[in-house]
Amino acid sequence: MTGDHHQRVIWAIGGGKGGSGKSFITTNIGICLSRLGARVILIDADLGGANLHTFLGVLPSAPSLSDFIKKRVSHLQDVLIPTGVPNLQLLTGAQDLLNAADAKSVQKKKILRSIKSLESDYILVDLGGGNTLSVLDFFLMSDGGILVVTPEPTSIENTYRFLKSAFYRRVRQAVSSSSVKGLIDEALDGKNEAGIRTPFELLREVRRISEDDAQKIVKEADAFHPNLILNQARSKKDIEIGFSIRSACQKYFGIHLHYLGYIVYDQDVGNSIRKRKPLVLENYRSKAAQCVVEIASRLANSHRMHQRSN
Amino acid sequence: MGFAPLTQRIVSFIEGSMKQIEDQTHYEILEVSHDATVKEIQQAYEHAKETFHSDSLAIYSLFSEEEMRKIQVSVEEAYRVLMDEALRRNYDQSYSHLLQRSSREKQTEKLAHSSEIKGSLSFTDLSLEIGEMPYRGKSLKQIREKLGIDLKAISTETKINIKTLEWIEEENLDCLPAPVYLKGFLKAYARVLNLDSQKLIEGYLQLFEERKKK
Repeated sequence: MTGDHHQRVIWAIGGGKGGSGKSFITTNIGICLSRLGARVILIDADLGGANLHTFLGVLPSAPSLSDFIKKRVSHLQDVLIPTGVPNLQLLTGAQDLLNAADAKSVQKKKILRSIKSLESDYILVDLGGGNTLSVLDFFLMSDGGILVVTPEPTSIENTYRFLKSAFYRRVRQAVSSSSVKGLIDEALDGKNEAGIRTPFELLREVRRISEDDAQKIVKEADAFHPNLILNQARSKKDIEIGFSIRSACQKYFGIHLHYLGYIVYDQDVGNSIRKRKPLVLENYRSKAAQCVVEIASRLANSHRMHQRSN
Repeated sequence: MGFAPLTQRIVSFIEGSMKQIEDQTHYEILEVSHDATVKEIQQAYEHAKETFHSDSLAIYSLFSEEEMRKIQVSVEEAYRVLMDEALRRNYDQSYSHLLQRSSREKQTEKLAHSSEIKGSLSFTDLSLEIGEMPYRGKSLKQIREKLGIDLKAISTETKINIKTLEWIEEENLDCLPAPVYLKGFLKAYARVLNLDSQKLIEGYLQLFEERKKK
């Protein structure tokens, strides 16, 4: 808890793979929230290909985070780009920050602090499909991490890969014994010598070393509530997959994944992207837009429940 | 027929903590509330069947075959017990007793002492002190007999040959398969009796160590 009475909620959208709809979802949810009267900032941190500006129909030549990092601009507030949508601003170039090679950890933390103190009600970060440690850290430090999955084996496989990395990263940060940390590093490799293949097996091994750390892992698992959006659902069966993924996470990780909702496959989505006009502005009545609206209102209502536990 | 678990580890009822399949209650296995209706249980069962199925897209790349089998067996068992009024009542009885205890402990001690809780098996109807006793073949037999379960039922449930089960109880190390395979058998046996399978395996494999030293 901070003494701050201004509640700023950061949602990080990541995981899965390229093409699952993260940028589309980030943009359109952001617009929905701003239409509900909230101040919203979208942050483009997609290492693979930052293009939120295209989704919003904004020119890419505008100022970016690197202007702030390189001290060409002294206030982070000044590199925010207006989007034409009231209450909605865009920050581009955050992928440079996540590129661990460039930014020193101290600097990174400082910039993250600046981001966190931006004047806004909601900050939505598009992390792209990346899986690097910086991406994971951003996902974990947000108030709520959102995974976007499509009903395809490749997308599901990548989602679980991301979840495993995020889970182990999170518990690794919580434990104190260095041998336990080593064990967690080993566990990340599916073919490790210790034979640890699941979080439960890890927990069992950690218990042998330190009961204290084992308790910390259990506590972290309890507090870890990633969110899931299932995109491009073409059938009722596809929608059910979201519930099944939730059950699978419960059985595999012992964590509670929150199924935020689904977005139906809709030709109008592709049309809106081609026109560079956000779907919820261009075609509010389309089926996919209605799904997005529903998810956004769920986010607006539930954010208090998904506050970080620390 | 069959036997509702008379025993349950208290740690299973500490809500929310990381619980492996073996530690989850039938309700948790099917993800239903304690007062779920027959219809809800049926739906939950169908959902679980759909989810934990070898062709299921939702679990792609997550579970090994062995883990899947374990989940499937637990789902079937949970469904069998919860759909049978008498079995469910029986199960709830042992369960509610422990639930009260665990929630009281939870309030006062939170998770801090769950290691201790975990170590102590609570046999509600039988006063059997297991805490200090290592699980070996003889103790398995003793527990099984106290629960009034015959070896045949264990064999049916675990699909392990009766002869092998007898060897396990007799600690007939020469006839038993290699530890790698034995582990699986011990795990299955422990599950039927609702014992800590890890503890059983550890205790049992010590027998081999001890023999080596001789």
